[in-house]
Amino acid sequence: MIEFKDIERYYDAGAVKSYVLRYASARIGEGEFVSIMGPSGAGKSTLLHILGMLDEPTAGEYWFLGEPVHKFNERRRTELYQQYIGFVFQAYHLIDDLTVYENLETPLLYKKVPSAERKSRIADLLDRFNMVAKKDLFPSQLSGGQQQLVGVARALIGRPKLILADEPTGNLQSPQAREIMDIFRQLNRDEGVTIIQVTHSDTNARYGSRILHLLDGKVERDEKI
Amino acid sequence: MLKTNLLIALRSLWKNKAITAINIVGLSLGMACFSLLMLHVNDEFSFDRFHVNKERIYRVYRHILPYNGKEASSDPYLPMPLGPAMQADFPDVLNYVRLCDWGEQYVRSARLLAKPRVLYADARFLTVLAFPLLYGDPQTALSDPNSVVLTEQAALDYFGEQNPTGKTLEIKVADVFEPFVVSGVVRNPPPNSSIRFDFLASFERHAASKYGKRGVNNWNRSAYFTLVELKPGSGLASDSARLQQFYNKYHPGETEEARSAGQWAGAGDPTNYRLQALTDWHTQPEIGGGAVAPVNPKYGWILLGLGGLVLLIACINFTTLSIGRSAGRAREVGVRKVIGARRGQLAAQFLTESLLLSGISMLLAFVLAKTFLPALNELTDKQLRFDFQLYPELGWMLTGLTLLTGLLAGIYPALVQSGFRPLEALRSKIRLSGSGLFTKSLVTFQFVLSVGLIACTLIMLRQLHFLQQKNPGFNKENVLIVDASDADTRRIYPLFKAALAANPAVEGVGASELSLGADAGWSRSGFEYEGQHKEVFEYFIDPDYMTVLNMDLLSGRPFDYAVSADTTQSVIINEAMMHDFGWTPASAPGQVLKGYSESGKKDPVVIGVVRDFNFLSLHKEVKPMMFHMFNGYQPYQFFVRLRPGDLSEGIAAIEKNWLAIEPDLPFRYHFLDDNLARFYKTEARWSTITGYAGGLAVMLAALGLFGLAALAAQKRTKEIGIRKVLGASVAGITRLLAGDFLRLVLLAIVLATPVAWYLMQLWLADFAYRIEISWWTFAVAGLMAIAIAFLTVSFQSIRAALADPVRSLRSE
Ligand SMILES: Nc1ncnc2c1ncn2[C@@H]1O[C@H](COP(=O)(O)OP(=O)(O)O)[C@@H](O)[C@H]1O
Ligand SMILES: [Mg+2]
Repeated sequence: MIEFKDIERYYDAGAVKSYVLRYASARIGEGEFVSIMGPSGAGKSTLLHILGMLDEPTAGEYWFLGEPVHKFNERRRTELYQQYIGFVFQAYHLIDDLTVYENLETPLLYKKVPSAERKSRIADLLDRFNMVAKKDLFPSQLSGGQQQLVGVARALIGRPKLILADEPTGNLQSPQAREIMDIFRQLNRDEGVTIIQVTHSDTNARYGSRILHLLDGKVERDEKI
Repeated sequence: MLKTNLLIALRSLWKNKAITAINIVGLSLGMACFSLLMLHVNDEFSFDRFHVNKERIYRVYRHILPYNGKEASSDPYLPMPLGPAMQADFPDVLNYVRLCDWGEQYVRSARLLAKPRVLYADARFLTVLAFPLLYGDPQTALSDPNSVVLTEQAALDYFGEQNPTGKTLEIKVADVFEPFVVSGVVRNPPPNSSIRFDFLASFERHAASKYGKRGVNNWNRSAYFTLVELKPGSGLASDSARLQQFYNKYHPGETEEARSAGQWAGAGDPTNYRLQALTDWHTQPEIGGGAVAPVNPKYGWILLGLGGLVLLIACINFTTLSIGRSAGRAREVGVRKVIGARRGQLAAQFLTESLLLSGISMLLAFVLAKTFLPALNELTDKQLRFDFQLYPELGWMLTGLTLLTGLLAGIYPALVQSGFRPLEALRSKIRLSGSGLFTKSLVTFQFVLSVGLIACTLIMLRQLHFLQQKNPGFNKENVLIVDASDADTRRIYPLFKAALAANPAVEGVGASELSLGADAGWSRSGFEYEGQHKEVFEYFIDPDYMTVLNMDLLSGRPFDYAVSADTTQSVIINEAMMHDFGWTPASAPGQVLKGYSESGKKDPVVIGVVRDFNFLSLHKEVKPMMFHMFNGYQPYQFFVRLRPGDLSEGIAAIEKNWLAIEPDLPFRYHFLDDNLARFYKTEARWSTITGYAGGLAVMLAALGLFGLAALAAQKRTKEIGIRKVLGASVAGITRLLAGDFLRLVLLAIVLATPVAWYLMQLWLADFAYRIEISWWTFAVAGLMAIAIAFLTVSFQSIRAALADPVRSLRSE
């Protein structure tokens, strides 16, 4: 499903280039559940953003479902992204001014999904995550775990083939973290959704089937579990 | 999507109430101002467009090329036989309608005696033009020479609610009341009609009257408007060759005469008939004529431009305030992009917000505009209404204005904010680089406009003051001009004069054929003096006129009742004429004006020279002029000098004298100084409009600054807290925050000065007598702007400086 070769990403730090990723390569098949681990500042988030098409590599190739993303313009990347990818953030990144329901609805509006279908999809997810009673609350009225549930639900609402999660449980206590990870596992097993998560926790990583260890801008070790 | 966007917009507006309030106040003021000016300008441009066949109806006028030392000129007053001749000679002319606007005439019924406007028109007037009848038959209503058609209003005034058809009333024609029979009632002409009337009478009736008879079959007596209706598709309007042929047929030999007299050396002919589209009547002042003064469309555009600038200032407030707080909304933009929003969708969301705001503001603006409409009407002498039936285009204009305002205000922030890169936006890394400069440029621009408009207003007011103060060469104070033009003045003037001599309020009485000041009219003669063409203005007066007005005689003697030759042979000339003829005060008396021959006078003799006085407006230099003593002309205007003191008593006394002598006619008068002030009515109007625009501009700019200063203080709360903890004073912090903005205002003053200077030089160039623009005008305008800016900014800054530092630091 995903193949990236010799991905490079640097930032201009004054006169010198500061490399975050250099010669990073890997292949990830459809239906895998992969964790990316590595020390802080190793470039995990950067890699995830590149895979999620929110950022561009300065060099290297990125193939997604057989398509050369590195050659695409922003418009085509947004199309691919809208169709196949859902993102989950450590800081949840919900829209404060919108209710739970509206937060879930917004991605569908951008995709121009018809109203009836929007309603049924949102109702399904709310039901599944036991959030029906909370649908008219604003994010500030929810606990962190509940907010991240909404974050995951929002990532799922577009029925993506790939979920990218950047330390999704980094701000959560373990029971809540477990709930999120259980959802990921279930998605992966029952619905065949490919999941790539960044995590610091071995426990979380063990939910997956494979760990990419990132060091010095490279995939230093590819560990199967 | 739209629904959601509206909901989001509403929530966002509600959440930032202070900023929203600033924006709504600003936008609604700007839009109200623009709507009012738009209503006014639209009215000017809508004139005569209600005629159904407007694209086929033309007014004929005579055009004379530059010729014999005179500028090109146009004249819509034409000979009586022109219309019939055009219909006979041109197959394209379907109909002609001649109009004789006799102005206000005495008309009486059993119920009322008043002075409405009577228009004599050919019978086809009612079928060619769109003046629908309520009663009567448009085909025949004006066929009978004794018939008269009233407007609804006139019918109500003269006959009450009943249908007046068949009733009679009397119109004063050449000093005698003559009976007319009402044959119809016509709807009141709309206010945007150049053709105005209260009564319509038959043109035939006029042609049969004492004055009209002289015009019948006379190509040399030009007193009538002629409208022609052309066949569809006719090219006559632009076919000057055919019109020239026609002109030469009815004015034979004119070109040859001019050529042999050495006055015309051009290839073709100097004079021709031309056709003016009916819809251009109101916007071509160079042709002129008619009851409503035509306007130069340039001024319409200037007005709209002025309104547009004020609106722009309000829009800029929205723009700068949105940019100012866009960093705060960056995270939202980032999230939306990450969940799949395209740039266009985000831009649409932001534009929905600005459009919603402009929509709300429009509602308020409409209320404001309606509130201020009476003030505008008073200023412009109109009775405008927001009347969607009279101006059907108003609906889409106001909608367009709302959309345009929303787009103009919102487009830049929408583009900037929707262009944030999602990752940076999520990390709150947006540091609007460059937009700081952009915001500063916009604020500077707002103040350039404000300072410029205020400076222009000050200069205009100073010039107006100067015009009012300038000594016109006679004493204009305390002089009453009694309008006796309807009376038999030869009979009543001596009686009136004798009566006033016994009136203690009156110092003296003189008389003139023409009044003095705006709308007084003028007469001018041209003659050949020693082989040179001379143009001289002429005034017919009695010997007391110059004394009453305290005019100075430089040499020679005044007119004298005792010298009988003074009425037939003598003239008094002014300095300008003396210079024009190459004489001196000493040499002028005794000179003979050889070649002058007008109104029974031939080769008159100069008996005196009067010091130059401004009988024309101060736009013009004093031109050569001479006084005649009455012989054939009548003393229509009585100049009465009152003793200083309570003028109202004097006026009451004079009115009594008047009514004792002429009980049938109302006592009508003006003050001389008012008459002179009316010369500058247009200028006074413009200075008022510029003043309002300037005041509004400053207010809006200050409002924007108020918001920006609040945002700046908010952003720097922490910095201010730290500075205070470190011991900075309130004054120091205020200076820190206010300094930024005041520098912009100073820059604006520097930029506005040369522009305003240049524009005002252009404006002043229209006056022969004018002030010098002085630097302090700009200093005053600048100080005003600085003071206002300082007040608004320091209010916010002091508030920020006074805030409890510990609290602001802890909340970070
Ligand atoms: N916009 C940026 N400009 C400069 N340096 C950046 C930027 N974003 C990330 N970095 C740097 O790139 C490195 C890797 O960042 P990141 O991918 O977030 O690491 P990780 O997620 O593994 O902790 C860090 O050292 C960070 O400072
Ligand atoms: Mg990271």
